[in-house]
Amino acid sequence: MAAVSPKERVVVVSQSSLLVFLYIFLYFPIFFIIYVSFVDNTVWPFPPVFTWEWYERLWIMSDFHLGLLNSFLIGIGTGALSSIFAASAAIGLLKYQSRLRGLFAVLYLSPLFVAGILIGISSLMFHRNILGLPGNLTSAILANTTQALSFAFLVILAQLTRYDWRMDEAAMVFGARPARCFWEVTLPTIWPSVLGAFLVSFILAFNNLEVTFYNVGAIPTLPTIAWGTLRHGIEPELYSLATVINGLVFFILIILFFLIRLGFVRLGYRGQ
Amino acid sequence: MSAALPHHLTSLQLRDIAMTEPALKLEQVEKSFDKVRAVDKVSLEVNTGEFFSLLGPSGSGKTTLLRIIAGLETPGNGTVHIGGRDVTRLPPYARGIGMVFQDFLLFPHKIVADNIIFPLKMQRLPEDKQKEQLNWILSLVRMEGYEDRYPHQLSGGQKQRVALARGLVSRPDILLLDEPLANLDLELRKEMEVEMRRFQAELDIPFIYVTHNQEEALTLSSRMAVMHNGKFEQVGAKLDLYNNPKTRFVAAFLGSPNYIQGQIKRMEGTIAILDWRGLDLRIPAPANATSGDKIDYFLKHERILIQSLRESEPAKGENRFEGTLRDIIFKGQHSAYFVVLENGEELVVNAATEMPSLKIRHAVEVGWLPEAGDAFLKEED
Amino acid sequence: MVSFWKLRQSPNFRFAMLTLPGALFLLIFLVLPLISILIFSFWRTESYQLIADWNIENYKTILGQKTYLTFMWRSLVMAVSVSLVCLIYAYPVAYLVAKRGGRYRLILVLLTAAPFFTGIILRVTAMQQILGPIGLLNMALQTFGFEPIQILMYSNVASAIGLVYLWIPFMVLAIYLSLLNFNFELLEVAYVNGAKPWRAFLEITWPLNWIGTAIGIVLVFIPTFAAFVTPRFLGGVNGALYGNILEHQFGATGTWALGSAMGVVLFFICLIFIMIIWRTINLQRSGYTGEEF
Repeated sequence: MAAVSPKERVVVVSQSSLLVFLYIFLYFPIFFIIYVSFVDNTVWPFPPVFTWEWYERLWIMSDFHLGLLNSFLIGIGTGALSSIFAASAAIGLLKYQSRLRGLFAVLYLSPLFVAGILIGISSLMFHRNILGLPGNLTSAILANTTQALSFAFLVILAQLTRYDWRMDEAAMVFGARPARCFWEVTLPTIWPSVLGAFLVSFILAFNNLEVTFYNVGAIPTLPTIAWGTLRHGIEPELYSLATVINGLVFFILIILFFLIRLGFVRLGYRGQ
Repeated sequence: MSAALPHHLTSLQLRDIAMTEPALKLEQVEKSFDKVRAVDKVSLEVNTGEFFSLLGPSGSGKTTLLRIIAGLETPGNGTVHIGGRDVTRLPPYARGIGMVFQDFLLFPHKIVADNIIFPLKMQRLPEDKQKEQLNWILSLVRMEGYEDRYPHQLSGGQKQRVALARGLVSRPDILLLDEPLANLDLELRKEMEVEMRRFQAELDIPFIYVTHNQEEALTLSSRMAVMHNGKFEQVGAKLDLYNNPKTRFVAAFLGSPNYIQGQIKRMEGTIAILDWRGLDLRIPAPANATSGDKIDYFLKHERILIQSLRESEPAKGENRFEGTLRDIIFKGQHSAYFVVLENGEELVVNAATEMPSLKIRHAVEVGWLPEAGDAFLKEED
Repeated sequence: MVSFWKLRQSPNFRFAMLTLPGALFLLIFLVLPLISILIFSFWRTESYQLIADWNIENYKTILGQKTYLTFMWRSLVMAVSVSLVCLIYAYPVAYLVAKRGGRYRLILVLLTAAPFFTGIILRVTAMQQILGPIGLLNMALQTFGFEPIQILMYSNVASAIGLVYLWIPFMVLAIYLSLLNFNFELLEVAYVNGAKPWRAFLEITWPLNWIGTAIGIVLVFIPTFAAFVTPRFLGGVNGALYGNILEHQFGATGTWALGSAMGVVLFFICLIFIMIIWRTINLQRSGYTGEEF
């Protein structure tokens, strides 16, 4: 850290304390719930009496396995659709200097500015009353993709802006046809960002409540199970469920972190 | 669909044609972007074995022209022939050319060897052949032992060598170079200039070299074209362009000469007497010039004689003026002398550094023959 | 054939081939649904069935009845205050990470964003476990012989804390990304010319990062205004917000048409908010160079 004057030090120290407090604020509830999931005395868990009971109850919960599977399917479907659409759009927008790129960028980012519940209910009304599509996994994937697409687009765009499109020209001059050029040069360089986009949209759809809830019909997913349970007051199974999901999310975020680093290494090179 | 000729055939079979046909032929090539003529009816022939430079300021259209030759832009009008073959409508990957880009544009995810054999891989050359060609080109560019490095592990000069190797490995009909030295520091640039001339001479492949740096163009090329506003101002042997500029732009651009403006007082045969802010100046009369015409006269720094007062008698017809030496800027073997004349105008003179008789703030004499400079009628804007 | 070959090679064609699929998807599955609820909002529902009987009764209900307006007003107050709290808290944090994070700033900022990915429902559960009546906070107070803090239990304050908890990652991220592209040397120029740090912040940092900040505000405002999970589990008896009655129309009562109208109103309130923010943005003065990407 650069040398700082005493006055600046006060500022830096107070900003740092805000940051530390923010981390505590964000993570304490999450870690507390993980801690509680392992104890019997959940209301005042000091000193703890450890137990596996909440995991056992979760495991035998009738909807848990189905919900886990469904959430996975929604996540994978949404992730695949979103990352393919987003990668294709980001390449098109950045590679070809079209006059319409501003308009398309706005369209692709617009779902970020539509409330989740609005996407949920409007998809419900549209799918059911106009497409004749009942609430099921397909319906939930389609609705979730609208929102996840924006996030996937942002993830890819953030890294792809560093890509030098003249690289493709170089490949073409040396004899690569457009398809070959994509496989040999573009994709090997940008894949970390595409995979990153897939993972981000996967997590969003996996955990989504307000869009999924209205479009999945009577089929259980982990968030809708949690929502249903929570309505009857907190049940300790929720703690173990939360811990399982948090573990999964944490695992994916670690992958994501390394993908971002890798993406920067791959795209950051500009011949200098 | 226009099927591409396989490149490994073209380079062998078409080499015979190339003996008679120019390696590159452009005819009336035009390209506009939003009504701006980037390239305006350019015709050109470049022969095998030539090192040809396209020199021009930024925005002159030289890069667009190079991209048209590469197939990265399609011309609005005109034709492009490479090695006797009409490639105007062919995409870049079917043209069998080599190219070196401004920032080298090595593929960051491929090691040096894979970067270099990329063009061979695209031509589906057998792997043993690829290996053979790779070793050959690595030794030519003196990069043996670096095969397994990634581009980010190389220095600027090494990247440049790899980029050249990639451009040359398939022995293309023609090598295009887009300001390849622009991002290198001075020392490396000098080194690479020597190397590029060596590669060109050894391989006998024509190089088309785009640059805005006139020193590079004058050092490297055998022939060159000066480009301005999408048009060729002048094409020819480099010394010819330097010594006998045909247009005002070339005269003003090459050598960054002294710029003298005046009005013709009277004509004396092929000589015009110019009123240069009170001084009478003898210049070669431009065609169709009459008294009263406004004139631009360009005088290269090294064509002016500088000496202390009355060190020698003026030759017949020589312009000779007295002035004050304002400053001397040391530039190695020669120095730039800044002389303020009696009419307040300043001239820059290049002369040997060792001139003990010349002292700053002392009076000096400058002189030159009318033909030392190039005179043009002032263009009406 | 030739013309098709030329068409395929044209940049505009390739641009369209790459960008249109996603755009069409969004038009069909985002824009059309929004239009469809606009249409349904002028219908009516009878025993769980939509009936195409054009009327504006739904809007009269929403904009004319005091209860709906109260909920709307509550949501608005909630959204504005939560956005403000997030803004005031997130700015110095994002500033610190962007300016002094050095090689750790990526991990530092990702740590603030990560909880967002665990999903609303689990985060609200976690919050309830802290703030609820049998949550950690109250149990701790009781264990040590204090009175429970009523205001943190099933109240609008608890909702607000929950919403800040949910959405502050967006604010940090938006401001951080803006500051990442901000040239901090401009501040040194201001200091050299005699500006005090606070003044330099107001004159240089704030206006030059206003776009990112504004995006952060909008990204917090919208989900807060539409919130229904958080107020339901943290807000208690009087904590219901606009999102809750909206949700209600699609649940037990099954009044689709009224619900659609409420959705449309929600959409336009958010749109008006975006417009107001948008009017404050001056691209040129924000150091925008004309290069979008």
